[in-house]
Amino acid sequence: MLNPIFQNRQYIAVYFALWILVSAIHFSALHLIIGIELYPALADSIFYNIFYSLLGLSFWYITKYISFEDNKPFRLIGNHLAAAIVSSAIWVIGGYYVLQRITEDDLIYSEFLFSSLIWRFFIGILFYTIINALNYTLMYYANFREKLVKETELSSLVQEAELKTLKYQINPHFIFNSLNSISSLTISEPKKAQEMTIKLSSFLRSTLSKNEKQLTKLKDELHNTRVYLDIEKIRFEDKFEFIENVKEKFLNIEIPSMLLQPIFENAIKHGVYESIEKVIISIEALIERDYLKLIIKNNYDPEAVAKSGEGIGLKNIAKRLQLMYNQDNLITTSKKDGIFTVIIYIPLSNGVSDGKN
Amino acid sequence: MEKIKVVVIDDERLARDILKNYIHEHPQLEIIAECQNGFEGIKVINEQKPDLIFLDIQMPKITGFEMLELIDDPPFVIFTTAYDQYAIKAFEVNAVDYLLKPFAYDRFDEALNKALEKIKSNSQAVETITAIDKAMDETVEFLERIVVKDKQNISIIPVSDIIYLEAQSDYVQIVSRQGKFLKQKTMKFFEKHLNPQNFVRIHRSYISSISNIKQLQLLEKETYKATLTTGEKLPVSKTGYSKLRQLLDQ
Repeated sequence: MLNPIFQNRQYIAVYFALWILVSAIHFSALHLIIGIELYPALADSIFYNIFYSLLGLSFWYITKYISFEDNKPFRLIGNHLAAAIVSSAIWVIGGYYVLQRITEDDLIYSEFLFSSLIWRFFIGILFYTIINALNYTLMYYANFREKLVKETELSSLVQEAELKTLKYQINPHFIFNSLNSISSLTISEPKKAQEMTIKLSSFLRSTLSKNEKQLTKLKDELHNTRVYLDIEKIRFEDKFEFIENVKEKFLNIEIPSMLLQPIFENAIKHGVYESIEKVIISIEALIERDYLKLIIKNNYDPEAVAKSGEGIGLKNIAKRLQLMYNQDNLITTSKKDGIFTVIIYIPLSNGVSDGKN
Repeated sequence: MEKIKVVVIDDERLARDILKNYIHEHPQLEIIAECQNGFEGIKVINEQKPDLIFLDIQMPKITGFEMLELIDDPPFVIFTTAYDQYAIKAFEVNAVDYLLKPFAYDRFDEALNKALEKIKSNSQAVETITAIDKAMDETVEFLERIVVKDKQNISIIPVSDIIYLEAQSDYVQIVSRQGKFLKQKTMKFFEKHLNPQNFVRIHRSYISSISNIKQLQLLEKETYKATLTTGEKLPVSKTGYSKLRQLLDQ
């Protein structure tokens, strides 16, 4: 990492402006308080401070190589002490030689200069401390910022990956069972076999393409649901019925894509597969406060004992909604009187992150 | 020549149709019944004693495997399913073959020929039932429900409703919220196939659900009794006691 002062012109300007201020104080103290003549006081304050301002720039490398992490406390203090002494000594002695040359004839100043060397040495140490402290602050601040940026990047990457894994995956059993139905229909009812092949293709196509994006219109979701249920209807015939109660004005509302599919698959799996009775599956849409409320119901056989795998699809939906809208409890389920109900709340405005960048 | 009696068991009409279609190609076969679920299957098999059944696995109420468990004298079985994860289990129960849906006529024929050979050689299908036990023993999968038959009644007991199990000679008595049932299995089987987080063998003759134990009492030296939420008291052996302590300390 380059010295942060060089990172932009403003920092350079501020750095040297501070040194001009220090020079001014230095000059005032020499000229007005101690009573040094104008010319030597000016030379002294300008030279010593320019010298240190340049010396100070090199301290960045010291800060960088004597880091807290890589050095034990004793070593750290020792290194800094040595660097402080050496740099102050160079500064004081270097300044002394140059200023003595410039102000050779001024004996009073000469004497003052010599007697002040020890104080200048301590001021040098003080400057060293201040500059290094600032450097450490800058360095850790920069690291902190960098880390923060990386963390946000990482978490959005993780979120994206997570959203991808939570997405709906085509149930292979559904495909194979449907293909078996088609195989059977080709012998008995070729027309119906063709119809089912087309429906299955349509379902597969939209499922594959919809999985590319996170949001889709309610009407597209419902269309997909209808295609899916039509296919299941060919398999299960009159074992279930689908009732749709969604007002037209809601159809263009955007909802997470493939959100409904796992819910209807669940209804088929736990309702229709497990029941000998006829199953009614329904969907209803309402607006409640700032939410689109979707209610999906199906009756089931209460005697059928739940087998494992139940609820994974629903859990994924809950997780996905939570990630997308940053809100909990957007999905609730209940079982009562042989009816399984899923209620989903979709926040209507804002807060929708696409998950894709 | 006497015809070979066949039963088709599948909950989907179209799946039964294609099977029937394939079977009709073989005049020596006679479809004596088709069933839509395992309950119908049990009834038909027990009453009409078919030689061969085509059996789906995933069906309403009880699975094909569970159905076989409840039949005393099972016929030869060819499984037909879209679920390939059951293939291993199917072979463990000595199924003649395992057809993955959708299957071709040639593949069906191959399976059928295997079955016909077995029927001809008069080999026993009875071994199937013992093989089921064996297969269940080997798959370490925790039970979620237990299917039992009491004369004509078939009950499905969710494992979560079981309070305790008691050994009774050749049977195990299952005491659940729905009542008491007998199942021809061993305590060892249940000990292995009930989730140890929920069930513990507290005694040579008892397995208890952990959540139903209300109290542990020291009766006399090294003899304990567990009081259940139902009020019943079960004996607890020394090892049973230490197992329980371990679980409760966690």
